[in-house]
Amino acid sequence: MKDNLLLKVSNLDAGYGAIQVLWDISLEVKQKEVVCIIGANGAGKSTLLKSIVGMIPSSKGEIFYSGNNITKMASPERIKMGLGFAPEGRHLFFGLTVEDNLLMGAFQRKYNKSVKEDLDFVYALFKPLKGYSRKLAGNLSGGEQQMCAIGRALMSRPTLLIIDELSLGLAPVVVDDLIDIIAKLRKERGISILLVEQDVKVALDIADRGYVLEAGAVSIHDKADRLAKNEHIKAAYLGVA
Amino acid sequence: MFNNKKVNIFLIIVGIIIFIFLPRFVSGYWVRVITTIFMYAVISQGINLMSGYMGYLPFGNAMFFGVGAYITAIGMGKGLSFLAVLPLAALTAILVSILFGLPVLRLRGHYFAIATIGMSGALLSVVQNATEITGGAMGTTLPIIDKSPEVTYNYFYLAMLALMVITTLTIYLIIKSKFGFGIRSIKANEEAANSMGINTTYHKVIAWAISALFTSIAGALYAYWMSFIGPEEVFDVMIAVNTIVIMLIGGAGSILGPIIGAFVISLLSEVVWSTFLEYHLAVLGITIIIIVFFVPKGITGAIADFVKKRELRLRKKVSV
Repeated sequence: MKDNLLLKVSNLDAGYGAIQVLWDISLEVKQKEVVCIIGANGAGKSTLLKSIVGMIPSSKGEIFYSGNNITKMASPERIKMGLGFAPEGRHLFFGLTVEDNLLMGAFQRKYNKSVKEDLDFVYALFKPLKGYSRKLAGNLSGGEQQMCAIGRALMSRPTLLIIDELSLGLAPVVVDDLIDIIAKLRKERGISILLVEQDVKVALDIADRGYVLEAGAVSIHDKADRLAKNEHIKAAYLGVA
Repeated sequence: MFNNKKVNIFLIIVGIIIFIFLPRFVSGYWVRVITTIFMYAVISQGINLMSGYMGYLPFGNAMFFGVGAYITAIGMGKGLSFLAVLPLAALTAILVSILFGLPVLRLRGHYFAIATIGMSGALLSVVQNATEITGGAMGTTLPIIDKSPEVTYNYFYLAMLALMVITTLTIYLIIKSKFGFGIRSIKANEEAANSMGINTTYHKVIAWAISALFTSIAGALYAYWMSFIGPEEVFDVMIAVNTIVIMLIGGAGSILGPIIGAFVISLLSEVVWSTFLEYHLAVLGITIIIIVFFVPKGITGAIADFVKKRELRLRKKVSV
């Protein structure tokens, strides 16, 4: 049980300056597991992801990654350890080409044959990107941008892929594609995935387990199928009374 | 023509050779004007690295020019040779840039620009008031080279030309390297660069140190060349403003932009100055507005667009 634990967050407090957003958060991601974080706007979902990646310092608590304490590490070191991050709003390098964007994801690696292989892997995974490899990322559609952002995160060969707002602003067809790709990544590459998702139905559909954030604290965590049956969640997030 | 690498290198070498022998054919006045153009190109290149490639506009970059000039003046006043004092000047400027850069490079956009002006002003005050070391607001003199003015001016012309070539080549190599890739990512989206595991603080501080290095050497050469410097003159914010305009006109984020911009602006102001003595600043300002309005990407950007359009047209013709 302990052996296949990939990410462990224990009693984490974090926030922006004097404003504390996260209160005593504990969370686990096991190997090859897909975990989702759901919650209303302003519940602290993105803040939690940012503090896991190291873009926000934590004031209390600890974060472990495959057995190592990463609480005090800067984000470049955490990325090196195997965290891959696709930030909210996608945050692409709009002025650079799609291929440069993807290469940017592999910045900490030496640009050699293995990076080329990963580039081919990403193009095979996200077929529309291949045709646009020389185009500026700013000219892509929303769905393509999300593909580019996830592809870029994959270029660092992460063991845990963290995605903030997978389906935000995307057409349902595109969301379905992305869900398939996430299932494929887990199955073929053995990557664990931690994602924040506004669409609770989608989230509980792809995830094994889910955490519900309310006002910066974990209120419920359970298996995804059981969360989907939970009366409180049905009423609050799924619109079923 | 502009896409062929070999042709470009050939053209650049021919250009450098022409400039090496140019002083034999033009008057001493023009030698001094072109030396100033080289100097502006160097300072502008430092701003280009920071702003054109990285997206941080260092409005106070003249402070490194001033630091370079003053360390040279003080060192030579103590009897050191120019070549001994030059590394000292460069090192001091790099130290200042790192010391100031670590806190100030956390600011973004206009806040960074304003903070650097503040630092430049602070250094100016220090130099003005440390009268015993710097000579204060009165300025300070440097040893005069014991040769005829013509030989001296040619010497500084060649030194400034060499500095411009070395600066441009260094920045070109940096931009083409992986470090340069990181720098460009900061301009494109700093937040994303951070989440890709790019150490943005490190990249920004090193980039500013490189910018400071070349700007301070330009200042050192300037001080030795003028043999008299005053604090208001070498810490003048207008040095940075002029070189920013030069970068914008030439083409920000393009390696030849600052050089082309320096020539266009300086020659333009020569012509304007000699024909409209009374209104030359107004005429120059309006000209710059017109250029920025019609050629927003700068001269190199306009050339690149033109080449691209022509290629597209040629491709269309072939396919029809």
